[in-house]
Amino acid sequence: MNPAPNDPEPPAHTPPLELQRAQEDRLRRAWQKPAGWRYWSAVNNTEVGVWYTATAFLFFLFGGVLALLIRIQLAVPDNDFLSADRYNQVFTVHGSVMMFLFAIPVFESIAVIFLPQMLGARDLPFPRLSAFGYWCFVLGGIFLCGSILFDAAPRGGWFMYPPLTSKYQPGVGADMWLLGFSFIEIAAIAAAVELIVGTLKCRPPGMRINLIPLYCWYVLVAAAMVLFAFPPLIAGSMLLELERAFHWPFFDPVRGGDPLLWQHLFWLFGHPEVYIIFLPSIAIIAMIVPTFAQRPIVGYGWIVLAAVGTGFLSFGLWVHHMFTTGLPGISLALFSAASEAVAIPTGVQIFCFIATIAAGRMVRSVPMLYTLGGLATFILGGLTGVMVALASFDFQAHDTFFVVAHLHYVLIGGSVFPIIAGCYYFFPLLNGKKLSDRLGRIAFWLLLAGFNLTFLPMHFTGLRGMPRRVFTYPAGMGFDLLNLVSTIGAFLLGAGVAIVAWDIIRPKKRQPLVPRNPWRAGTLEWLPAMPPESWGVRSIPEIDSRYPLWEQPNFVRDVDEGRFYLPDAEEGKRETLVTSVIDATPTQCLRLPGPSFVPALAAVSLGGFFILGTFYLWIPALVSLVIAIGVIWRWLWNGTAVIPEKPEKEIGLGLTLPLYRSGPESVGWWAVVITMLAVFVAFVSLVFAYFFYWTIHDDFPPAGSQGGPGVFWPCLAATLLLAAWALTLLARRANRRDRAGVFSLAIIGAALLALAGGAAILAGPWLTGLDPTSHVYPAIVWLLALWTALHAATGVLFHAYCFARRAAGRMTARHDIDIQNAVAFWHFVILTAVITVAVIAGFPLVK
Amino acid sequence: MMKSLSENRESLWRLIVSPSVWALHFLASYVTAAIWCAKFAPASGSIAPVRWLIAAYTVAALLAIGWNGWNGYRRHRLGAAELPHDADTPEDRHRFLGFATALLAGLSAIAVIFAAMAVVYFQDCR
Amino acid sequence: MRPPHSRPPRKAYYGDAHPFRGLGQLAAGRRPTPLMYPARAFLFLVWFALAGCSGIQSSLAPAGDGAHRIAGLFWWMTGGALLVWALMIWLTYSAFRGRASRQSPRLARLYIIGGGALFPTVVLAVLLIHGFRMMPPLLASAPEGSLRIAVSGEQWWWRVRYHPPSGPPVELANEIRLPVGEPVEFELGSPDVIHSFWIPSLGGKMDMIPGRRTRLTLRATRTGTFRGQCAEYCGTSHALMAFPVVVMEAADFARWLEGQRQPAANPAEPLLAEGRDLFLMNGCAACHAIRGTPARGRIGPDLTHVGSRLSLGAGILPNDPEAFVRWIAETSRVKPGVLMPHFGMLPAAELDAVAAYLESLQ
Repeated sequence: MNPAPNDPEPPAHTPPLELQRAQEDRLRRAWQKPAGWRYWSAVNNTEVGVWYTATAFLFFLFGGVLALLIRIQLAVPDNDFLSADRYNQVFTVHGSVMMFLFAIPVFESIAVIFLPQMLGARDLPFPRLSAFGYWCFVLGGIFLCGSILFDAAPRGGWFMYPPLTSKYQPGVGADMWLLGFSFIEIAAIAAAVELIVGTLKCRPPGMRINLIPLYCWYVLVAAAMVLFAFPPLIAGSMLLELERAFHWPFFDPVRGGDPLLWQHLFWLFGHPEVYIIFLPSIAIIAMIVPTFAQRPIVGYGWIVLAAVGTGFLSFGLWVHHMFTTGLPGISLALFSAASEAVAIPTGVQIFCFIATIAAGRMVRSVPMLYTLGGLATFILGGLTGVMVALASFDFQAHDTFFVVAHLHYVLIGGSVFPIIAGCYYFFPLLNGKKLSDRLGRIAFWLLLAGFNLTFLPMHFTGLRGMPRRVFTYPAGMGFDLLNLVSTIGAFLLGAGVAIVAWDIIRPKKRQPLVPRNPWRAGTLEWLPAMPPESWGVRSIPEIDSRYPLWEQPNFVRDVDEGRFYLPDAEEGKRETLVTSVIDATPTQCLRLPGPSFVPALAAVSLGGFFILGTFYLWIPALVSLVIAIGVIWRWLWNGTAVIPEKPEKEIGLGLTLPLYRSGPESVGWWAVVITMLAVFVAFVSLVFAYFFYWTIHDDFPPAGSQGGPGVFWPCLAATLLLAAWALTLLARRANRRDRAGVFSLAIIGAALLALAGGAAILAGPWLTGLDPTSHVYPAIVWLLALWTALHAATGVLFHAYCFARRAAGRMTARHDIDIQNAVAFWHFVILTAVITVAVIAGFPLVK
Repeated sequence: MMKSLSENRESLWRLIVSPSVWALHFLASYVTAAIWCAKFAPASGSIAPVRWLIAAYTVAALLAIGWNGWNGYRRHRLGAAELPHDADTPEDRHRFLGFATALLAGLSAIAVIFAAMAVVYFQDCR
Repeated sequence: MRPPHSRPPRKAYYGDAHPFRGLGQLAAGRRPTPLMYPARAFLFLVWFALAGCSGIQSSLAPAGDGAHRIAGLFWWMTGGALLVWALMIWLTYSAFRGRASRQSPRLARLYIIGGGALFPTVVLAVLLIHGFRMMPPLLASAPEGSLRIAVSGEQWWWRVRYHPPSGPPVELANEIRLPVGEPVEFELGSPDVIHSFWIPSLGGKMDMIPGRRTRLTLRATRTGTFRGQCAEYCGTSHALMAFPVVVMEAADFARWLEGQRQPAANPAEPLLAEGRDLFLMNGCAACHAIRGTPARGRIGPDLTHVGSRLSLGAGILPNDPEAFVRWIAETSRVKPGVLMPHFGMLPAAELDAVAAYLESLQ
């Protein structure tokens, strides 16, 4: 709208037509997707994102079929359609699949497809990382879903409370859940890192922080939440798996453990997770509503407030899943308060949509139908949420079908309806064809009616006394009719889903292409011509407005004719722009890697570790892990921090940008720091566990274990690791000054000191004879020490990698991405080590 | 004026000061209550010291949030302020960040007050 | 010979609250006129709301202090929630339809401030304060000298130990009896996995967590028979872990407890004596106790007065000889995953004798 005075403007003249064609050819060649069986080596966001979404949708259908099995079993009292044990597997897998294999992946996969398009980028900054995440997801997902066919599925409920899952369910199911989902969560964190860096650093020039499409704000917040929410669950899963596999008594009260710790860690993940699902779904609505109101959103700032505010507040809700565990009233009250407060930003968002509708000229459409249906449903779920958030009411409602009804209103209204709305809205961007309006409408009414018929009665079923997760119920308790109605509704709902699925997969060969920007939207993702090209955007535009397609004159023409940035791929390489965080000033022309099978190989070998671990085949599992490390090494070696043939490049509009940047200027450094932040959160969860045990024991460390791991070895370890860290810093400095000798000495010294430090931290509990199976105190000390040692060992890998890179001439004084990233990693190592030592050696002294 | 609005002097961190203060307040209140009840509470289960501590946390948190919010509001009102702050200029970016900061401060303050209300109604560890 | 307090008619326990009741009258009306459909739909909803409350396990048919308070809270909140929902739907609808009178963005922003920020803040603050005020009474302990009942949830039954203010404790199982009008303190725990103790008619639930001791105070406000059930998923037969609850007049309760305190009477009839001998011979005593006999097992439920209980197998079978035989002979079919081995290999006559003996333990 009001371009900044010194903004570059596209040239006024049309570039010669032959030049345009030549540029298009070169771009097309650079971004070509691989053909034949090599197609599966694609890493492009438009390919991987679509696979990802389609796979998540398949898992959704699978989870839906399980839901129908549940409903058949509960249709009549005393039913024996499913045995008790089978039923328990079915509801466990239903919940787990919907949460871990549908709701979260689908948010990330939709974002993988559309985030770059909304940001006018050619791809996300780490395409191979997305591909890696996808393959991890497929592998883990199939493994988990398959288990139910072999009667070996987890049966502990999707929140897997120990001691049921630690001691009373010996089968392989629980291990599958713990290791399989940890594996998938790692993939989810990888995707989150990518989305964060993508939103912050890969925007089009001029898209200042106040002009970002709302969808991207939501994705940014949700991805940041993933970083803080998933690690506690990974830490918890690790504790539980250690108890199952090696009898470390983290949740065994007889040996000092406590089952409640799991609930804290699980719900510290579990509640934010609901919002991680909800925010990106409502984000789709935030794109749809302005389009069909044909005006900018009203209350942009308010929505940002709501997204960020919800992101924070959602971390203060976890205990509301534990209102009946006998915690002090004051604690319950605090969480009750936060649970009510989070309704405020949610209300703000909904009123922003209503205000936009009121201020606009609404166009009727199928996406809008789903949007309104979703909001009506979600509001009801939100209101029952306000009810259960009140601890006093929850004492009755908790763990009954009332909660089942509530959570389905929230998740289906707040996520499934918006996602289907998104399907109908965004579908033309995939292949230029529209979904059927007629089928969409029929499906909508089936879904709405079926949904309410299924879940509205459940509020009463629950309050009349039916607990959740029961495989049957006696007749004449007042549950019979209500359950029968729910079952009928579930099949209507299923029919609606089937119609949507058919509409998506039905052949559309003979259907005409839709015109470009069929809904007359204002945001960048609608730039592509139909059908879209795989390069994403013809030239990367200079942005002056929140809705450039509406507000910037001649915008589409200028993009199409290549009058903006990067209209060409002269060197035949895939390229996109890196910009600054606040004002999106271009800082680098980033070369992106092309198709490769390496991410899939890495996923398979890493998956091997987790899957073999499930069966306690530890030796093959470790072999698989070593292979995975080798594959990843190769991946990094050939595919990252490649030294360009020239230092900088003209990208159009008179701008020349460097091709290589390192440290905080590079996207890779950001990825390392953000990933390590997540790892650090997992570590903090373990430290939390230590102090949690302190609060529940009168005597912690227990009198029997005088002094714990002692002071000497931990302090020695801290000293050694500090020295290793200092030498790593020195190595970076020596490299920058191009002093090969000093660099080599420093990096070798750092590696040796790190190894010694890792050994010393383990020597503490080892030499003092702490037995991790005897009591929870030695177990948690051992775990903290192991965690630190593992960090040191990984740090040594970084040292070795940097040493090899420099020796091979792939790292030089100027091209020092690798050592910069190693230093970033080592900052976290040293932080972890110092905290570990302070806790395991220092705390017993204070006490 | 342009200089003071340069990108380098802006930070996303200021946006999340208030909700972070809420988080600290919340965590501190919860941890204080939990540790008191698990470790130090007298036989009567009284939480009198916890109530005073939470009251003190609340005053401190509201002061910090108020400062951050006021700061944001002033940035929002810079020059001829007109919502929706959607121009491609450093001024509007500055105003937008200020506006969002102020709103977040408001929400955080409400959340802190909600949490602090708990103190009024609970006397013991049950 | 049966004491008056022992057993209400079985029908009363197994469900008199049939939800179909009333639907018949509603459906068997005159020939439909166009106006009757909405009227019927409305009637149906009213019926649904009211009939949807009854039941021996319904939190909406309260018979205890906590349940009364929470049910009241529920109805107020439901009314409020429906109002808010209708208001928002109406707002959206009129915004959608209001093509002629499009709002200026400035006015639309008032929606956000008023509807999105101020309104929920005020309403939630009021609601929260109300919720806070309710909590201390719901969480409070029973006064000194009240009846204490220690209940332990075990896969998938209930160990119940009465600690009356005077006299030694009495250990029973799978049934709870309470004096009406008196606060009773439950001490809850579990030796295996997490369970949750819940009597919806009387009040909220409380989890039973291994390694922890939780408490719950309930005060019944009227006599009657209700049903409680485990509310936390606890493994294979989680659905089959329930118990009858009988609220009695205080004097009746005292008499009943005194009766339960007594050891089992020696069987006079030969069939019953045979049943007892078979019980002891087949190893039942390794897990079950019958006070007054050599049976002292502590693993399973105490059976001293098992014949006087309202149900078998933790609230899942009626208490009669046939059910007893079924339970003993097909234990793991009745309750999948249960620890007790089945005794289907015993000859029918022996099963009958054991069942008759156990049934006689009034």
